[in-house]
Formats: sequence, structure tokens, C-alpha cells
Amino acid sequence: MARTILIVDDSESIREVVSFTLENEGYNVLVAVDGKDALKYLDGKSIDLIITDLHMPEMDGIELIKEVRKMPTYQRIPILFLTTESQTSRKMEAKDAGATGWIIKPFVPAKLIAALNKVIR
Amino acid sequence: MDNFKKKFIEEATDLIEGLEKNLLALEQNPEDPGLIQQVFRVMHTLKGNSSMFGFDLIDHYTHDLETVYDLVRNKKLKLTREVLDVTLSSVDHLKLLLDENNYNDPDFLTLHNALVSRVSKLIKVETVSENSNESDQGKVSIQEIQEEKTFFIRFIPSIGIFKNGTNPLYLIDEIHSLGNAKVFVHLNKIPLLNEIDPLLCYTYWEIILVTNHNYADISDIFIFVEGESTIQIQSIAEDNLLDDDYFVSEITRIAKIQKDIGLATVQKIAEDAKKRFLQSKAATIKRDKVGLKDTSISSIRVSSEKLDSLMNLVSELVTTQARLSLFAEQNNIPGLTGISENVQKLSRQLRDTAFSIVLIPIENMLTRFQRLVRDLSNELKKDVVFVTEGADTELDKTIIESLSDPLMHIIRNSLDHGIEEAQERIKRGKPKQGKISLKAFYSGANVHILISDDGAGIDTDIIREKAVSKGIIPPDKKFTKKEILDLVFIPGFSTAKKVTDVSGRGVGMDVVKRKIADIRGEVEIESELGVGTTITIKLPLTLSIIDGLLIKVEETHYVIPLSSVDKIFAVERKKIYETFNNVLVLEGRQVSFFNIRREFGLPDGVQDIEQVIVINYEENRVGLIVDTVIGEYQAVLKPLGKHYKKQEMVSGATILGDGSIALVLDTNKIIKLFSKIENY
Repeated sequence: MARTILIVDDSESIREVVSFTLENEGYNVLVAVDGKDALKYLDGKSIDLIITDLHMPEMDGIELIKEVRKMPTYQRIPILFLTTESQTSRKMEAKDAGATGWIIKPFVPAKLIAALNKVIR
Repeated sequence: MDNFKKKFIEEATDLIEGLEKNLLALEQNPEDPGLIQQVFRVMHTLKGNSSMFGFDLIDHYTHDLETVYDLVRNKKLKLTREVLDVTLSSVDHLKLLLDENNYNDPDFLTLHNALVSRVSKLIKVETVSENSNESDQGKVSIQEIQEEKTFFIRFIPSIGIFKNGTNPLYLIDEIHSLGNAKVFVHLNKIPLLNEIDPLLCYTYWEIILVTNHNYADISDIFIFVEGESTIQIQSIAEDNLLDDDYFVSEITRIAKIQKDIGLATVQKIAEDAKKRFLQSKAATIKRDKVGLKDTSISSIRVSSEKLDSLMNLVSELVTTQARLSLFAEQNNIPGLTGISENVQKLSRQLRDTAFSIVLIPIENMLTRFQRLVRDLSNELKKDVVFVTEGADTELDKTIIESLSDPLMHIIRNSLDHGIEEAQERIKRGKPKQGKISLKAFYSGANVHILISDDGAGIDTDIIREKAVSKGIIPPDKKFTKKEILDLVFIPGFSTAKKVTDVSGRGVGMDVVKRKIADIRGEVEIESELGVGTTITIKLPLTLSIIDGLLIKVEETHYVIPLSSVDKIFAVERKKIYETFNNVLVLEGRQVSFFNIRREFGLPDGVQDIEQVIVINYEENRVGLIVDTVIGEYQAVLKPLGKHYKKQEMVSGATILGDGSIALVLDTNKIIKLFSKIENY
């Protein structure tokens, strides 16, 4: 069965590029515009991986990760976050919140898939 | 991509407009941390996204602006008039930067450069070092072309690694993708069963990796876990150590004894391997000088008699070892248990080695079939190609010897009855040239050989008709397609309408089936009318010794081949005896079962708990009820003798450690027999 990936990003263009790449790879893709929106999906739908931006209005990535780790169903779901090279401190913060790994922007499809391969099959 | 670009431009325009508003508000309240944070966030988003869509100028520009606001945010830079001025001009400039047509305008570029230097002036020291770093990274990726090197990797995941959603196995997989890896899994840190917390990771790995990637590529694999896990990556040789037999065997041996290898040991073995290599090289050179040829021989010819006697000796050894194990168990002599266990291990290894010696690839007999197909197709004036796959699949030589005749027969049948004549084929819309393929592959402890043709297939109606006319089956009874097809294995059944020289003299598939049964194999037939026929032969890898499961029913020992055992369950007696349809629910799935006691005509058991051995039978799981499961047992198969040749349930006997005899059950056959309510 195809894996389902939830993409959380307030930027529509990023959402589209990521979903385009992932759908081409055969994944099911769900999109959410911020942490709050993402939580709606996590209530009931079966999701195999979350890719989230860190900077978002309403609920940001770190808060989202913390929330997700509190849910019994998603306690151990892989979570990747999008970040840029210069944000090392944020990286550790996200990691401490329970993130599995990260994808550094800018990325090409191959890099995105490489990061994905580290956490799901 | 253009679509995405358009979307990005729309989005960026919105962002920049929002930014303008925030900046104007910030001018009124220069100390408002919320506003500063927002400005920073917009810069950050613009930077990240613009680089994704190829707007490099925006990327670099916003990178600097982001740095400025990072400094402001951290109170390292004061939000002066100049800063705000520059940012506001930047806002206008960013809008222009979104239109790529501007990029060719020299005036625009001059303006751009002026603004860039104004922004850079705001930032002083911090970014310089960062930039030099980046150019360094650029260099690393250039010198990619490298020779194969050997690395040692020790990966001890942090005990709570699962909590972050990480599956360390994927990382190991990724190492495999870099090159040739030998992975040692260490389970020695797993605590006792009652102390295990299944949410924690106790396993760790040591890996020898041969790759042409560099250190950075390897450490990149662990990038997500490097903070909390222990990762050691060390280059141990400038060449491929996994090609070195000494190194591989030595490290495997150490890993077995020590449980944990460690860098120092690996380095020592690598050094030894190097020394040995140099020595042997020196020796070769010396010999060359003296004029002697290299005398090392990669293979030797041994008479098959010697091999047979080797196999016999190994069989005897295994039997004797079973006696030793039993003796050690009964007499609690200090030290004896250890020795006995060692002997058991050694004899197992010796057995495996001896087996691998007598295994030969089926390729050896395939040339004969090639020839057969060529000659026969000429004779029959049919155009047929013979394709083989998996010719390197190995089988016991005695099996290969007995296999050749049945295979020959099957191929003949396919050629003669299966493949249609050229005109007929064209009429049916098939390629003029017929195809017979032979495919061999391993499946567990078995080898499967598939012979398929793309010919006419078998007409089940004709078979049925014929079976009825010969009185083999009653005319009014319903049969499945498989049951009908199986009729061709019944002695004296030949369906060809005309008898040809090649096949179809009534000596048919029944002989094939019998011959294959002699070597403990099975034959199955599948056919689609008009499409073709496939005959599958399943064979055991070897004939003489099998890994078995020793069980006991009413004081008698039996052995079940371990390869067919799926799982063993303990079930309450009443669940077995108080049922009408012989079905148990195990792990949420229904499993039909046979009670060996009842099937063998023994009195019902009295114990409270019965053992259910779940067997893989064709596509199903079938349970067999036995009294006691004793354990794993290496069974040396001995034939039962002439008088018992006809019985099907037992494929042989084996001598147990105490000298008594256990029968080796052929699970497939007994299940088939038990489930047959009436025979034909």
C-alpha cells in the first residue's frame, strides 16, 4: 500500500513542489497550512510520515512536533522538518522536541527522496 | 517547474507586501520583538523558497537581510534609521528581483550591487567565517572520484532512538547502498526477557564497508542521529578488504566468539591481512624469479566415490554426536556439556561444508536438454526455442542424476503435445516460434524447477471425459480444475489422441511423479487452455541429512522437517477434542488441524495441554497435534527398506542419540492423505 505523507508548510509553492515530487514517487500526499491544520489530519487518518516547516503562523513546527509526540498513535511516527543551512540551533531544538530528521532548503527532488529513505520504506 | 515558479512569484509578492506593512509598523515601534520576529520570518521564508525556484539573487540578498534581522533580534545590532532605510529600499528592490526580465538591465544590476554592499556594511564579522566555510564545502564535493576503500563503522544507537521515529535498520540499508558491506549485528546488550522494554533499542552494529564514497558521505547517513548515538567511522584500508579471504574469515570468526569486535581488533586483523598479502605476493615474485609457475590450485577433481564416503562419515558423525549430546545431558559431568556443544557445532559446520561439496549446478545437465529440443523440434518440424534461467542453482549430485530422466520426459511432452505446429500458432495469434523455458530457483530449503511452454495447454474436458471412460472417476462427481489436472499423474493415463514416436505411449507423467517422489520431490501441474502448461518440481536441497523437529506421540518419536514448520503453539486439550470441524483459531486466524493420534488410530491423549505444530502446506497453514515437542534435531535419513517402499507418510528413519529409531514424517504427504476423504 502506498505510504501517506502529511506536508505542513504555510508556503503554497513549497507545498506544491514537495507534493509534486512525492506523488511522482508514488506516495499519497496530504497537505496542511500550519500546525493547527495538521493536527486535524492526525485525528483519524492513517499517516506514515510528517514533513513540516518550522516557521509557521498559528502553530509552528516545533510545537506541532511536541503535540504529535504526545499522541499515542503517532508517538513514533517519523517527522522531518524543513530548515535552512544557517539554522543549526533550531535544528537541535526540533530534534529535542522529537523530530526524526530534517531536510535542508533549498533541495532538489533527489535530496528530498534521500532524506525520506532514511526514515521510511 | 514554470507553474511552480509562477506560484512562488505570487506568494513572494504577498510576502513582500506584508513585509512592507510590518516595516512601517516597526518604524513606529522599533522595540517591538514580535514585529522584528515577523520581519525575520519573512526574510527567512523568502530566502528558503527563492533558492528552491532558482532565484539565486533573491536568495543571496535575503540571506544577508536575514542575518541583519537575526542580529537585531538577538540585540547585537540596533534597529537604526539606516537599517530601516536599507530594508525599505530592499523591499522595493525585491519586487523588481521577482521579474527575471530585469536581470539583463545593466542599470538594475548596478543598483543591486549598491544595495548589496549597503546591507553587507550592516553586518560585520559573523558572516565572513560562514562564507569561507561554504566555499570549503564546495571543494569537498569536487574531489569525488576515488578508489575503493575499506571503512569500519560502529553504530550504537542511543537506547531511546525509536522515540524520535527513527528506524535504525533503514540506516543500515543505506550503508549497503554505498557499496559492499559486511554487517555484524550485536544482540549481547539485550537484557533478559522480563527486563526488556520493547520501546528501547538494545541492538548495535559493526560494519565493514567497502566503498568509493568518502568519509563525509558515510557520516551523512547518520546525520539525523549523530547527536545522541555513538558513531565511529574509521578508514581501515586503502583497498578492498572484503576481497581478502583471510580478513573476512578472521573477522567473522572473531565476531562469533567475542560478540563485539571493536576498532582495535579490526585494525589488527586488517594489518595482518595486509602482511599476509604482501608475504604471499613476495613469495609469488620469488617463485617467478626461480622460474616456477604459480602452483596454487583453485579446484581439484575428486572421485564421486570419495565424496559418497565423506557424506557417509559425516552422517555417522552426526548420529554419534547425537549420542554424545544425550550422554552429556544425562550425566552431569562438569565440562562435558561444553565439549558436547562444541562437537555439535563442529559437526554441523562439517555437515554444511560437506554438503556444499556435493552440490553441483544444474547447468551440467542443461546442455543435454538444449540438444534434445534442437533435435526433436527438427524431427517434429516445429520451431521451438529453449530458454533457461537460474542454471547456477545447485543441487545434490544424486538428485541431479535422478532428475535428468523425468525432466527429459517433461520437455518431450511439451514439445510433442504442448507446442502447436507453426500454422496453428499463427492462427491463434501466437508468435510462430514456440518457447519452452526451464527456470530453477531456491525457495527456503527447497529448489523449485519450473518447466513451462507457451503451447496449447491441457484441455480439462478431454481429461475428464477420458478419466470417466476409463472408470477412474465417477461421471457425476464435481472436481476442481487442479484435481482434474492431477489425474494425469495416475498410472496408465495418457491423453494424446495419436501416439507419436516421441511420447504418448502411456508411460507418462505417472513415471515422472514416481521418480521425483523417489528423491523426496513433488510435481505439480498448472495449465491454461490455449496459453500453455507449467510443471513445477519441488526438490529438497539434499537427501541425506535434514534439520528436523523431534516430536513424540504416544511413546514414539517422529521427526518433522524443520523447513516446513511455521510455528508451534500450546493449546488446551478441550479445544482440540471438543470441536466438530477440526478448526482452531491461532493468532486470530483459523487453522484447520489433524490430530496425529486419531489419524494414526491411537487412543485420545490425556494431557491438559497439547502441542500444535503449524505446517506450511501449499498456500495454507495446517496444524498437526502432537504430544510433546522435544526440539531441533539433525536427522540422518536412512531408507526404510524394500517392504515399506509403498507407504507415503514416512520419508525415512533416523537413529536417535539413545539408539532408538524415529520416523521422519513427510508432512506434505501426510496432510494430503489425511485430507483425502475418498481416494480415486
